[in-house]
Amino acid sequence: MKNIYRPIESVIEDIKQESPNITTYRFRPKEPLTFAAGQFVELTAPGVGEAPFTPSSNPNVTETMEITIMDVGTVTHALTKMKVGDTVGIRGPYGNGYNMADFDGKEILIMGGGVGLAPLRSLILALFDDIDRYKKVSIRYGARTPEDVIFKDLLPEWEKMKNTEVLLTIDEPAPNWSGKVGVVTVLLDDLPLLTTVDVEGLPFSAETAVACVCGPPIMLKFVNIALLEKGFKPENIYHSMERNMSCGLGKCGHCMMGELYICKDGPVMTAAQVASFEDPF
Amino acid sequence: MKEVFIGRENLLKLIGRWAKNQRVYVPVTFDIMNNPETPDYELVKEEVPDKLELHGACPAQSPKTFLFYAREVVAKYPSSDPEASVEAPATIVVGPRACDLDGLEKFDKVYWSTKHFTEEYDDPFYIEKRQNTVLVSVDCTASKETCFCTMMGGKPYVDDGFDLNISPLKSGYILTSGSDKGEKLLEGSDDLFTPVDSNHKDERSRSRASVTAAVERQNAQYAVDVAHDKHELGSNEAAWAHVTQNCVGCGACNRICPSCTCFLLVDQRAEGGYERTRNWDTCLSIGYARTGGGGNSRPNLPQRLENRIRCKLEYSRDRYGAVSCTGCGRCIDVCMGRIDMREAIKHVVTEMAKA
Repeated sequence: MKNIYRPIESVIEDIKQESPNITTYRFRPKEPLTFAAGQFVELTAPGVGEAPFTPSSNPNVTETMEITIMDVGTVTHALTKMKVGDTVGIRGPYGNGYNMADFDGKEILIMGGGVGLAPLRSLILALFDDIDRYKKVSIRYGARTPEDVIFKDLLPEWEKMKNTEVLLTIDEPAPNWSGKVGVVTVLLDDLPLLTTVDVEGLPFSAETAVACVCGPPIMLKFVNIALLEKGFKPENIYHSMERNMSCGLGKCGHCMMGELYICKDGPVMTAAQVASFEDPF
Repeated sequence: MKEVFIGRENLLKLIGRWAKNQRVYVPVTFDIMNNPETPDYELVKEEVPDKLELHGACPAQSPKTFLFYAREVVAKYPSSDPEASVEAPATIVVGPRACDLDGLEKFDKVYWSTKHFTEEYDDPFYIEKRQNTVLVSVDCTASKETCFCTMMGGKPYVDDGFDLNISPLKSGYILTSGSDKGEKLLEGSDDLFTPVDSNHKDERSRSRASVTAAVERQNAQYAVDVAHDKHELGSNEAAWAHVTQNCVGCGACNRICPSCTCFLLVDQRAEGGYERTRNWDTCLSIGYARTGGGGNSRPNLPQRLENRIRCKLEYSRDRYGAVSCTGCGRCIDVCMGRIDMREAIKHVVTEMAKA
């Protein structure tokens, strides 16, 4: 029988520092390993352990996989010690991805907080591959300080994409920052909504617009409230749920939330799916 | 189905014959800690231990110990071999009770997906052991104070799902085969059996009825039929805090539970590289739901005990179609805070009804 716990050897091909504590690694798995935007993998730091990550690279690129990692725990810290040419392990992919067929012809709001923009990047790149299918892609991203902003070199490129806008905010005022200041929900204050004001350019129709949210649990909680207030439908708000999956296979129990396994029923879950939980985030 | 009667001496001989070809575990009484009442499993070596004890209620441990090891290597890496290497020697476990077989149902659902669903994640380490293990179940001839199988929709004896069943009587045992695997255990040993007569059957019926009545009687005060009433326990904070008063979060209840399936994967250095072990885990530990950034969806102990009990009664029912508490009472037996699952359920259900 197939061993569901075996990691596939993957070689580190490139390491890029994104911020003081966030790094993007490019891996080349020795066996075929593909994923859909929103799915996650279990990444092994050899001898240290595994942790779940949603890749940050384009799912349409199948030879390599990028994962953008913040140094917060044992596994992520062990990875910071690794070099180009070193070998890690990857298992997966697991869980569901975004239901992208459902995004056709719609406005897509992408809300990222901190390292939460990393998993969303794989979705953004998948959307860019087929940008004509979507009415609008609005990327709204909040980081703690200007240094903490990840994909600094990519954001201006993304802004040049057709039908795409990029809005940034940082939590506290900082020298040399002329952009918005405040937690990420401030980027929703002036969200143009077709149902309220018809703003010139690319308004949002709250009835049909889709929101994809990823960030710390506290951010998900408040963005969820704000989007529902704006008139987004619960079934159109996709959250990346954060739990510490040990197996990713619907067995170990660590990610259970009520009768749901975040590793199988998630990690992408709509506000409608989690509505019955008192505090799902 | 084959049904035969066997005396004690001959049963020891029969088990001895089984032990020639495979590993056989039997429940025996130990003279340790001045507490010989609860038998535990012992591997049959040269001779079948004469302290073999099949009367009474369930053994100290459930058969999960034999099918889902407390710690087991599940992968060695780096490796390009997609196949799992599983050690699953032919094994016979004599002694599981009806509650234990109920507990394995949850394991089958979680680890043997294709038996129940059409999902891709079959666990080779569980399945191969399960396939190579014959379960010889035993009727309970008495109940412990902590038994409450009837409250969970169970019974102190099995009707189905067993390979071979033993019904202990005063003068011997009735052996009943329930599968091909079980029937095989009786093959070639006709010299040890006599026919089952109506007196044997009457004695078995009386014994089963009297143990069932005893379990029902001792649980009447709790008056909560969880399996059938479909109670929602809900997240009544004060009620759960009350239930948790004496909990220290040790997780003994998780480990002894016949239907606790959770684990944690742990990696370490090993010869030739690294190895990954699968270890029993406990949802009562603070680290269980902790995430990398320091988040924790259940930071407080009452939330964790609530999760454990609701997992048994509600989440398992909603996910897998059956309550997974089997009423074996082992969690009560091992709890150093003397938390009684039945009292906990009754308290929370009563408080919910008030709210």
